[in-house]
Amino acid sequence: MSNKLLLPNRYKKIGWFLLIPATILGIILMTTQYEGLSLEATTFAIYNDEVLGKTQFFSFIHTNITNTVTGILFITGGLLVGFSKEKTEDEFIANLRQSSLLWSVFVNYVLLLAAFAFIYGTAFFNVMVYNMFTVLIIFIARFNYMLYRNSKLVPNEKYN
Amino acid sequence: MKNTIKIERAINNLTQEELANKVSVSRQTINAMEANKYVPSTVLALKIAKVFNKPVEQIFILEETD
Repeated sequence: MSNKLLLPNRYKKIGWFLLIPATILGIILMTTQYEGLSLEATTFAIYNDEVLGKTQFFSFIHTNITNTVTGILFITGGLLVGFSKEKTEDEFIANLRQSSLLWSVFVNYVLLLAAFAFIYGTAFFNVMVYNMFTVLIIFIARFNYMLYRNSKLVPNEKYN
Repeated sequence: MKNTIKIERAINNLTQEELANKVSVSRQTINAMEANKYVPSTVLALKIAKVFNKPVEQIFILEETD
């Protein structure tokens, strides 16, 4: 019973190595209003429009890429962690993964709905930033919690 | 659906881990089936019955609500 969309188990470890530093970077950025760290570089942009500036297509631009790097690290790490096989990948684990995915999309939109209804002004900009990552975060958290809960349900006894 | 996996394991002197290895699934899967939290696929049910050398209906039993 193989799932073709999943990566081999070893990618999970690589994922955590990307996800944890990216999370720390992300928290630093969030608490400093995205100005705590600055990494300037020339990078390729398919589309770029600056506030009160010109619009550019397919050009090299010099800009602050801290958010870009953090976001890319976080999403790559999150995808590797969330979509790699477990050590023993079987039908029950696949079932847990699917139900966690369903649960996370649902919970994410319930939270977003609440944010839409009750958060106004510039704070809503933060909601949009968080919302780019919450599906992945909730999915990884839920899936790992379900795995943990199912391994703790009964201790590894002989005949209980 | 209920099952007698736990009883059969005791008769055959197998741990959850050993049974899991025999049918190549994770220990969590055996655990979840014994707790009636997971209904296995037909393939897995047949594999388990084969390990215990019994017909599948003797290990997996339908309930009124099924």
